Amino acid sequence: MDEFERHLTSLLPRLRRFAHGLARNAADADDLTQAAAERMLKARDQWQPGSNFAAWGYRVMRNLWVDTTRARQRRDRVLVDEEQGLSVGAPGEAETSVELGYLMRAMGRLPDEQREAVALVMIEGLAYAEAAEVLDIPMGTLTSRLVRGRQALMKMLED
Amino acid sequence: MAETIDETRIIAWVDGELDDAAAARVAGAVAADPALAALAERHRRMKARFAAAFAPLADAPAPERPAAEVVSLAAARKARAAKAAAAPRPAPRRWMAPGAIAASLLVGVLVGHGYVGGGGAGGARDALALPAPTVAALDRQLSGDAGAVRVAMTFRDRDGSLCRGFTASGMASVACRADGGWRLRYAVPATTQGGDYRQAGGDAAQMAFIQSIIAGDPLDRAAETKARADRWGK
Repeated sequence: MDEFERHLTSLLPRLRRFAHGLARNAADADDLTQAAAERMLKARDQWQPGSNFAAWGYRVMRNLWVDTTRARQRRDRVLVDEEQGLSVGAPGEAETSVELGYLMRAMGRLPDEQREAVALVMIEGLAYAEAAEVLDIPMGTLTSRLVRGRQALMKMLED
Repeated sequence: MAETIDETRIIAWVDGELDDAAAARVAGAVAADPALAALAERHRRMKARFAAAFAPLADAPAPERPAAEVVSLAAARKARAAKAAAAPRPAPRRWMAPGAIAASLLVGVLVGHGYVGGGGAGGARDALALPAPTVAALDRQLSGDAGAVRVAMTFRDRDGSLCRGFTASGMASVACRADGGWRLRYAVPATTQGGDYRQAGGDAAQMAFIQSIIAGDPLDRAAETKARADRWGK
């Protein structure tokens, strides 16, 4: 196993967690994890040995998520997840813990750009500078999305 | 002159983003203002709540045999390329399905478990070929039958192929019919090993994978018996 494959193997669990922060349900999250692993293996030449592998992996997954989310929104604009409310389960969540499913649905109600900021910092524990690098946005933008996302979550979860 | 401590500042403090001097100023302000203290506490609690709920996802067992692991990926790729060049028969279509490469990452784990036969993924066989005893069990057993291989359910994927969710050698797996045989689509180390494995349930990640490819409901006993009589659609 070479350096790349070692990095990928050890990053996969964290990528899977990040996917659960982004995706609407556990099934989508596992699809996203697999698709990201696939993309990374195909694009392995893009990674510079010595550079931050985790940041690259998060970026690959995030871009993939943006692509699939946009495609889905175009396809089924009629299905408005937000209207499902927090108490309704989604397919594929039967085996997810109730608490995790609940928090995932709360995340799912955030605008995409707040959700990705919150997932990277509050769930993945990235420093602000790292998260801003992954998302390719200035620190100030990252911070304001993070704050708005967390205020919205707090409102949902405490009400 | 004290700076104003807003919510952004509080959150940055909770996230450990402030340098010592700035953190001390926030700590001082929080100590002096119960409203700020309550706000900081709510943010800290929410962060801890997310951390606790999401942590188990990242605690999934990382493969413990790195040496056996993706050695086989490169070898399998080479073997497939050589085979394709030698005998240009149609490549297994399943191979490029989403998940196939991630599944191939796991092939090394399977080798480690003695799950893929002696030649391993580097041999002439396709990387996702199953060992003969597993194939025999998938051909013969109905869901819930006892044995070294335990089949939890049978279902059709969105392409109409029959698939079976099963556990063997501690791996929660999914195999589907393709090119007249069973092809491994997915495998993860089963969370519960050995005799305690729940026959009808299965591993959470495995179930999530099944949810992502299943079309309709799993086959009932009668439909499964008929599918077996039909040799699983050839």
